[in-house]
Amino acid sequence: MPNTIIDSTTFEELKEAMGDDFIPELVSTYLDETAALIQKLREALAASQSEDFRRIAHSIKSSSASLGALEFSAQAKELEFIGKAGDFNQAGAALARLEEAWPKVKTALQEFIP
Amino acid sequence: MSRKTTPSPGRLLVVDDNKVNRLLLGRGLEQQGHTVSFAENGLLALEMVRTQPFDIILLDIQMPEMDGYQVLELITSDLNLRDIPVIMTTAMEELDSVVKCIELGAEDYLTKPVNPVLLKARVNASLEKKRLRDQQRELVKKFATAEVAEDLQESGFSLGGKFIEATAMFSDIRGFTTIAESQTPAETIELLNTYYTLMFEAISGHSGVVNQMIGDGLMAIFGAPLPLENKEEQAVRAAQEMIEMINLFNTDLVSQGKLPIKIGIGIASGSVIAGYTGTIRRATYTCVGDTVNLAARLEAHTKVVGQPILIDEATRNELSSAIRVEDQGKVQLKGKVHEVNIFSVLVSS
Repeated sequence: MPNTIIDSTTFEELKEAMGDDFIPELVSTYLDETAALIQKLREALAASQSEDFRRIAHSIKSSSASLGALEFSAQAKELEFIGKAGDFNQAGAALARLEEAWPKVKTALQEFIP
Repeated sequence: MSRKTTPSPGRLLVVDDNKVNRLLLGRGLEQQGHTVSFAENGLLALEMVRTQPFDIILLDIQMPEMDGYQVLELITSDLNLRDIPVIMTTAMEELDSVVKCIELGAEDYLTKPVNPVLLKARVNASLEKKRLRDQQRELVKKFATAEVAEDLQESGFSLGGKFIEATAMFSDIRGFTTIAESQTPAETIELLNTYYTLMFEAISGHSGVVNQMIGDGLMAIFGAPLPLENKEEQAVRAAQEMIEMINLFNTDLVSQGKLPIKIGIGIASGSVIAGYTGTIRRATYTCVGDTVNLAARLEAHTKVVGQPILIDEATRNELSSAIRVEDQGKVQLKGKVHEVNIFSVLVSS
């Protein structure tokens, strides 16, 4: 079954360029970092810090795209725009969707660790 | 057959607030043999570049504490840091920001996720530029005064030439071959080194730049690459000091039972063509043209008239009354169509 959560072409290219031995470290760093960033998004939302919210979403977008988590990256990009517009009415719901998608990204990435 | 040189490894700094991005860039660069350091925000990056040497900085734009724009502005406005190429690493949709960064002085950019082939190509290109700048900086240090070196670094290096109003000086040791034959090679080299040290001090003390040394002769320029007020007076005062220095040095030589040395100095003022000449690997700041030739001819002519310092009319006309000159009349110098008016300068003014 093709993995729709992680783009396999992107991930395979990454493996090719960086070397197989590098992948476990990369994936575990991504999992830790992203979990921490999602937590920070929550905090930024609670404190109504739209600039922080935007920047953190941008960071998640960037690293997620690198690992091939394209859909998740697109969701983060949506949050980035919400932060940029300072539109906190939508931020809560959008963040909830991102949090919902996160466990699936985690599970999908585990598959790529030998 | 073209010879493509593989650039040697560089010291790189990766600045990104996202640990995954740092890891990815770091891995890519380490695979190419570079030494990589990391900073997670702009403040930390700035602290690192101020205390450690780097060949390239890969800089993220959006960061907490201090963003990429601020870091870039501080780096490009710092004389000690502005030679380090900065490559921006940005998201694809941030191309507007890239334009802003290039305007601020960034060398290049890469979009994230970073393509390993592009990463290699851009880093190597920037490394080459950094090495060239380092070489030029070294050259300027050797051939120019501190002020000139600073000015060149501020205005950027240009190999192109231009016309400049300047005063040119030639100086060499009379009968040096005879002296060299009378002593050991080690003594000759020691003599030359003392001579050059004294001459450099007199010339740079009057804001001149020594740009050529050949055997026992040297060429200096006043008023280039940086404009210099009263360059004629400065050049002549430098020449007087050179003669005084040699006289003191001679007292020393004679007390050691050695032959005293004599120097001749020629000075001319006017338009010169100034610029860097040579190749990219080895270039010097040079001045050429009629004025420079005239100074060389005047230096040679000091032997004929038996005077240590000869100057042209353009130089004489700008001197203060404190400097005493003697009209030596019109002479026909080698390579000159017309006769020129020449003047000797008295040393004890």
